[in-house]
Amino acid sequence: MIPTEAHGTIALQPSACTSCMICVRECPTWCIELESHTEQVSEPDARRPKTVNILDAFRIDFGLCMYCGICVDLCPFDALAWSPEHDLAATTAGGLVLGIDELSRAWPNRNPTSGS
Amino acid sequence: MTPPLDLAVEPGDWLRSVVALRDEGCEVFDFLTAVDRGQVIEVVVRVMNPATKAATMVWTTVPADAAELASLSEHYLGATWCERETAEMFGVRFMGLADQRPLLLRATLGRPPMLKESALVARAVREWPGAAQATDDGRQGGNPSRRRQLPPGVPDDFLRPDRSSLDQSAGTT
Amino acid sequence: MTPLQSSALERRFRVSGHPQLLISVLDVGLACCALEVGAAITAGLLVLEEPEHSAVLEPRMNVLLISGTVTDALAPGIIRAWEALDEPRVAVSFGACANTGGPYWDAPTVTKGIDQLIPMSVYIPGCPPRPEALIAGLARLAGVGDAG
Repeated sequence: MIPTEAHGTIALQPSACTSCMICVRECPTWCIELESHTEQVSEPDARRPKTVNILDAFRIDFGLCMYCGICVDLCPFDALAWSPEHDLAATTAGGLVLGIDELSRAWPNRNPTSGS
Repeated sequence: MTPPLDLAVEPGDWLRSVVALRDEGCEVFDFLTAVDRGQVIEVVVRVMNPATKAATMVWTTVPADAAELASLSEHYLGATWCERETAEMFGVRFMGLADQRPLLLRATLGRPPMLKESALVARAVREWPGAAQATDDGRQGGNPSRRRQLPPGVPDDFLRPDRSSLDQSAGTT
Repeated sequence: MTPLQSSALERRFRVSGHPQLLISVLDVGLACCALEVGAAITAGLLVLEEPEHSAVLEPRMNVLLISGTVTDALAPGIIRAWEALDEPRVAVSFGACANTGGPYWDAPTVTKGIDQLIPMSVYIPGCPPRPEALIAGLARLAGVGDAG
């Protein structure tokens, strides 16, 4: 049985990601790619609209990833986490590149009773 | 007598010093490698006395543009592997080394890769994902840094003429 | 090319949870990944057939399992092993080094993915991959074998 805290793969919580690029720049194997843009968001109390980063794409090439976990450790917003998911073999090299959908599906559900 | 932990010798005394240690009982060859110090290359060998476990590191310094040293391979069989490696990785010629075949590198490669001036080609030719201008453009108090557009480990001008003028002030070694 | 003489190829393994998969494995264990292949056997995930059965069982396929770091200096040996492997054969890349060079992607001595040398059927990610990931990857061979 694989423990839930196992380092099977790295998962992404896109709603927590601020597109700060820290993970991308610190990755020793350059296996993370991130694309984002800014949008102006008006808030009722604010005098000026707020600029927020919108995440457009986030890819990890698990062919290159050395599972060092630096990205997980350095993410200031806990948008990256270890997941016990390990069934990620592919029949092409490109199949090891996972995007936002696959990375969020792997997000660990360590405490099922607390809901989503 | 316990041999010293570290011993610095002139290149001309290299062979004699190490063989003297072997004759005193340091019969086990541990490793031999080099360190690029810019103008000079340091070569170091570690030999050990199997009876006392005492080990000595012998250091010497050769000029980088004429890096030559006497081979220890006739006195320690294990030295051949390390000298072949140090020869191809640092460009040190070992005089008297019978087996001069390259170990890991293809013969056609250019400069010895472990010299500090040798950039990692793989890093230079690949686009650094971190170069993408993220939206950290200073709005949150940070200072946009153009320096960040260069990956670590690649000199500004290496195979990237279009980027050589990005940040002259920061400079590289 | 003469057939590869290796006692490893006389052994047949069943892949846990996939009874239709009967394989012989030539494990080219070049680095730490090789330990995980051994772990898969001791954990009962790769199950060795009894020798008396093994002798009469035809392998469904011969698997060249590259588990570890391939250097350019070693690459010709990998190609020779592949060419000498009897059909039906597949090549499986196990771990980041074999997949792309992994931690050594920028090293001047390391082959940047063994799919530059021989055709790969399955790529298993990990550094190293868990033994369970090996089994999950080998399970992909079920489809490969039917197609080939």
